[in-house]
Amino acid sequence: MRFGRISKAVGVAAAAALALSACAGNSGGTTPTTAAAASKSGGSATVVEVNAFNTFNPNTADGNTDINSKISYATHSGFFYIDNKLNVVRNEKFGKMEKVSDSPLTVKYTINDGVKWSDGTPVTSADLLLQWAAFSGYYNDADADAKTGTSYFSYAGDPTGIALSDFPELSDDGKSMTVKYSKPFSDWEIALGGPGIDIPAHVLAKKAGLADAKAFVDLVKGMPRGDSAAPQPANTQLQAMAEMWNTGFDSKTLPADPNLYLSNGPYIVKGVNQDQSLTMVKNKDYTWGPEAKLDEITVRYIGSAPAQVQALKNGEADIIAPQASADTVEQLKALESQGVTVEVGNQLSYDHIDLNFSGVFAEKNVREAFMKSVPRKDIVDKIVKKLDPEAKPLDSQLFVPDQALYADSVKANGSSAYQEVDIEGAKSLLAGATPEVRIMYNKDNPNRADMFALISESATKAGFKIVDGGLGKSDWGKALGDGSYDATIFGWINSGVGVSGVPQIFKTGNDSNFNQFSDPEADKLMDELIVTTDKGKQDELIKQIDQKIWASSYGLPIFQAVGVDAYSDRITGVKYMPNQTGVWWNFWEWAQK
Amino acid sequence: MAEDAGLPAAGVEPILEAKGLSQGQIVRKRFLGHSGAIIGLVVFAIIFVTAFTSVGYWGIPGWWKYSHDQVTPLVNDGVPTASLWPLVWGDHPFGQDRIGRDLFAMTMRGAQQSITVMLVIGLIAGLIGVVVGALSGYFRGWTEAILMRLTDVIIIIPALLLAAVMAQMAGRRDSGSWFATFASNNGILALGIFLGLITWVGLARLMRGEFLSLREREFVDAARISGASNARIIFKHILPNAVGVLIVNITLTMSAAILTETALSYLGVGVKAPDTSLGLLISQNQEAFATRPWLFWFPGLFIVLICLSINFIGDGLRDAFDPRQKKFNAKKARDHGGHPVAATPVTAFDGTKDD
Amino acid sequence: MVTYIVRRLITAALILLGASFLVYLLTAASGDPLEEFRASSAPNKQQLMDARTELLQLDTPAPIRYFHWLGGAAQCLIPFANSCDLGKNIAGQPITDALGHALIQTLTLVTGATVLAILIGITLGIITALRQYSTLDYGVTFMAFLFFSLPIFWVAVLLKEYGAIGFNNFLRNPEIPIPAALAIGAVIGVLTAVTVGGEMKRRLLIGGLAFLFAAAVLVYFSATEWFKTPGLGPVVIAIAGVGIAFAVTLLSAGLKNRKALQSALIAVGVGLVVYFVIQPLLNEATILMIVLLAVAAVLVGLGIGFLMGGYDRGQSMRAAALTSFLVGFLILLDRYMQAWPTYFNNSRVRGRPIATIGAGTPNIEGDFWIMSLDSFTHLILPTMALILISLAGYTRFTRASMLEIMNMDYIRTARAKGLSERTVVMRHAFRNALIPIATIVAFDIGGLIGGAVITETVFSVRGMGFLFLEGISHVDPNPVMGVFLCVAITAMGFNLIADLAYSALDPRVRVKA
Repeated sequence: MRFGRISKAVGVAAAAALALSACAGNSGGTTPTTAAAASKSGGSATVVEVNAFNTFNPNTADGNTDINSKISYATHSGFFYIDNKLNVVRNEKFGKMEKVSDSPLTVKYTINDGVKWSDGTPVTSADLLLQWAAFSGYYNDADADAKTGTSYFSYAGDPTGIALSDFPELSDDGKSMTVKYSKPFSDWEIALGGPGIDIPAHVLAKKAGLADAKAFVDLVKGMPRGDSAAPQPANTQLQAMAEMWNTGFDSKTLPADPNLYLSNGPYIVKGVNQDQSLTMVKNKDYTWGPEAKLDEITVRYIGSAPAQVQALKNGEADIIAPQASADTVEQLKALESQGVTVEVGNQLSYDHIDLNFSGVFAEKNVREAFMKSVPRKDIVDKIVKKLDPEAKPLDSQLFVPDQALYADSVKANGSSAYQEVDIEGAKSLLAGATPEVRIMYNKDNPNRADMFALISESATKAGFKIVDGGLGKSDWGKALGDGSYDATIFGWINSGVGVSGVPQIFKTGNDSNFNQFSDPEADKLMDELIVTTDKGKQDELIKQIDQKIWASSYGLPIFQAVGVDAYSDRITGVKYMPNQTGVWWNFWEWAQK
Repeated sequence: MAEDAGLPAAGVEPILEAKGLSQGQIVRKRFLGHSGAIIGLVVFAIIFVTAFTSVGYWGIPGWWKYSHDQVTPLVNDGVPTASLWPLVWGDHPFGQDRIGRDLFAMTMRGAQQSITVMLVIGLIAGLIGVVVGALSGYFRGWTEAILMRLTDVIIIIPALLLAAVMAQMAGRRDSGSWFATFASNNGILALGIFLGLITWVGLARLMRGEFLSLREREFVDAARISGASNARIIFKHILPNAVGVLIVNITLTMSAAILTETALSYLGVGVKAPDTSLGLLISQNQEAFATRPWLFWFPGLFIVLICLSINFIGDGLRDAFDPRQKKFNAKKARDHGGHPVAATPVTAFDGTKDD
Repeated sequence: MVTYIVRRLITAALILLGASFLVYLLTAASGDPLEEFRASSAPNKQQLMDARTELLQLDTPAPIRYFHWLGGAAQCLIPFANSCDLGKNIAGQPITDALGHALIQTLTLVTGATVLAILIGITLGIITALRQYSTLDYGVTFMAFLFFSLPIFWVAVLLKEYGAIGFNNFLRNPEIPIPAALAIGAVIGVLTAVTVGGEMKRRLLIGGLAFLFAAAVLVYFSATEWFKTPGLGPVVIAIAGVGIAFAVTLLSAGLKNRKALQSALIAVGVGLVVYFVIQPLLNEATILMIVLLAVAAVLVGLGIGFLMGGYDRGQSMRAAALTSFLVGFLILLDRYMQAWPTYFNNSRVRGRPIATIGAGTPNIEGDFWIMSLDSFTHLILPTMALILISLAGYTRFTRASMLEIMNMDYIRTARAKGLSERTVVMRHAFRNALIPIATIVAFDIGGLIGGAVITETVFSVRGMGFLFLEGISHVDPNPVMGVFLCVAITAMGFNLIADLAYSALDPRVRVKA
């Protein structure tokens, strides 16, 4: 639900690292190449979202829900966007983003002439600088433990990458900005300037009592980098701006002041009906990017999946992307006869079972025996097959099936030993022992509960004594890594496949390394991975790490989550997207028949 | 059956009273003459016995070959194997869920749980409700003020919130407190007790209302003057007069309890997997409504059957207990004597008088 | 009496204080506010957790946070200061705003349903009590219990499938084939035969007539595409009006009271004249105008009754007022039907009027009629769902209470006096049967504000229930407390009203000061 912006970044991280070509439309998704020709401009569409819109600034910790990010995406533009193959697509009509030098890594952003906010003010480097200031946390000098210093912008994303940069150089014409990084940063391409430059610096400056955007630039230019060891008194003007940035754009209705919802993208918000719907119309000035076809897009909020399906069936909604379940997909498929198109595809998260490297599983033989007894195929058949007939168990902790490297890596990583349940093999490894295994999972998640039932059924046959260690939804998360269980079933929500996520999960002693996996060689490879910017080399390293993980009998990846979207016969141009931007990624191609 | 079973009823009634039957005998006779209640009782008994014997209870094994949490290979893609023509029962008469658990076993287990919840709630809520309502309605004054303010507190604290806290505790399998241990081992019982402890308030207010107006009646004054004790007045004079409303309310509360459990499961704070209840089954399978309807229909059917039978039993009891009602089935009286009085709408009274 | 009320209010305030403390602690203990971050592998996980911790002040123990909250909430008591501060939810919206919005959503959703459920439930309860053990009684009992036993999300799914999607499909080409018309007519005929009671011959006759009438009407509707361009027209209003006049008089005064009947019939006549006069005015309608017209209709009715007089002037006035109100309602209905084609063909509605979700079509524009039709098409399904499930309670209670009363000595006395059955039922029995029902109704209305959580979820209405649920799921006490305050205050208020009503309805029960 949350993590809108972050996951976008992560999605691209995945793309950058893996050149992931996660498939779109396993079924029914024959891409209509002639769609653009067949469809005309104009018309309207109603899109269904789960959450209700509540802020025009989707970057804050509180405003970072998927819906806010999507609205912001449709009403703002930037140097790039991300397509459904998870590639970064540059928008040269908006401006140019170029890597000027590799060491030190230097990136120059230039905004084209004519790009302007919907109040007529041109988009300038000041807007970009504001984004940099907010995303980098450059001026923060707060120390959480000592309770000293100030934290200005409450940014939801990960600041560590941009924080490597120094104060950018701004050109005199206000059109370009150059950012210099002190260390190589693999995700520089998606760090700044897109997919939308969403907060206008001139509005923020005025609201905070400064004269204009220029005054803002002058203000921050003089300020040094924040240092939590030596906190300075808070700068009141910057604080006022940050305050405005943090909460000033929160609104569940259309603000009386149009400056609060300025657009520089294809659409502009026209009306917000609190907790019911939001309407956007075409931004007439917009010429700096892909041109939108629909005149009007209405977003309605429907929480439950069956209600979404019925709304589509009743013509109240044109595009839906409900939470996928076998029954939802089947119900949608039944609507194909009335012209509905259903697209099923993979998502960026996957479920897996991890074994602790302690307790009963301290011994590798026991881990291996347990892994042999996990009925991965059966689980996939029963839980995912109905959604996606081509689903297979996931065979890598780091790669995703639809890319060439996945097959390569799977061949070499040793996963072939765990294709079929091997009760006999497990028994012989156990040699008559009957270890007691406590499996922890989220009892309130039916998928996990069913997985547990299937694993427990099968592992018992091999001689394991399975203890149900499932916890309620408010407790299982806290229990992760606390050693109260021997194995755990859960899903990595977003960054399981990113470069920065890799050490986060698999490096010795790291935060999210819940099962205490530790392999000095793998650690070394991961240290290398982080400072490697060359993609080919990165892939090679990840392949080796994948092998190490499997060789240590870490646990098993089970399946990738499945997503679904569907749209009525009134609409064309919708395409499945694996990351959390969802169908919105190409909203400008949507057209009414 | 409906027509002739109760045939002698109308005619026999005056003789019954002439014989001076005990209250219990009269009630029983009347109850047995209420066809709706009898059907309800039979249906409920069948469900009860089937549910508790088929999959076993509290460690006692049952006669059905599967248990509710046992995963078996999918037969026929989970579609029910039972059919009416030709009449076969098959391996999985109600079908299987997606991972192959037997739906008949799950439904039976769910019915056990739902019946348990219902009975526990009926018992607890009924007892507390009657006692609190009676005391405050009869004694008034401070007793009433304190008890009624207590009900106010319980009325305004949202049940959903309490259920959420409960569910969270039940979700903690490992923590050491006795409550958590109890809640996680007897999830359904804990839920029932807890719901019982908060659903009595409506009943208490209703009983208080009845007592308030009944205690001002002449017959109560008469009893008091003749030296009856408070307890005697409450139990012998007022309560029998309030029993109609009471029973209707308790049975409604009981069937509402099953639905409350369903609602809580729908909102994710009810019974926890791997245990199951009828409510949990249908809320888990609500999306299967159009695609695998059996997952939805069988548990739903049992909820409806249990609720219906309980309510009809309650209906019969209400009529049987009503001390003033002399005759209990106008239609039967009409069928029996072909008496014209039945033509007038209000026959309950005049009918017997003429008999 | 006044001291009693004051004392109750003071205790209520104390209870509220104590209960709110409890609710706050419970909410804080009901889950893990950081759950959504726990299994995240985001590099800045700790930072996000810190931000949430700070936002919800998780470092401060819950009891102390409660007093912070109380400090803000106490300001709501200062009149006209407008300094009410119930905190913000985690999305940063002030709770006072969120509550205001949610309250409107919830009230629009549940008010109509509750009123209708009470009216229908009580009526059915009385009828079934009067016809105890008839087929009708068993039928109503069975249906009431059946609907009562159905989980509401199930009812909602079915209603959407057939009441919205199916009906909209039907409207695309509103033709009823003859067999279907006959079948529906047959069902209606059987139902009528069961309902009317009496001898078999009479039942069959009336049932048969109902069957013929219903089938004929359906065929007529189908042939004239009535469903696309519905309307009543003066003729139907006249016929229905005369029917209403007779029915109202029958219930309120008895047909023997000729003056009352004449007053009611005159009211119908006046209504018909007004029907033609008022059409241009109705084109400019606003909600205020409709209310004023309704008041005017009642006043005119009273006037007619007053002028007609008779031995019981009050009865004539009542009959005429009620009749003219109902005829006014028919005129209103007719006007709505006139607006239907415009609504149906509206570009936002696209010929699928009955909605499955929400409280209105987004961005729809139009006059009073279009807008209220829009609300109507959105509310009809949730209202039906709520009525179906809450009907049982009212029906059963009324029936039980009515049966009890009908066996009372004073009813026997009334009968013995030779009073007509109508007087006995309406004057003596019905009023007394209402006493226990009043408690239930007050109780239910008190709980109404809490919202129908599941109904709101399935029909995507974000009212009080949704606000509450969201608060609980994020372990965010502020919205929970906001909803709690509203619910608690109304519940206690209505409890007090119920207690006062008790003593008002039953003079033997004294409210002790």
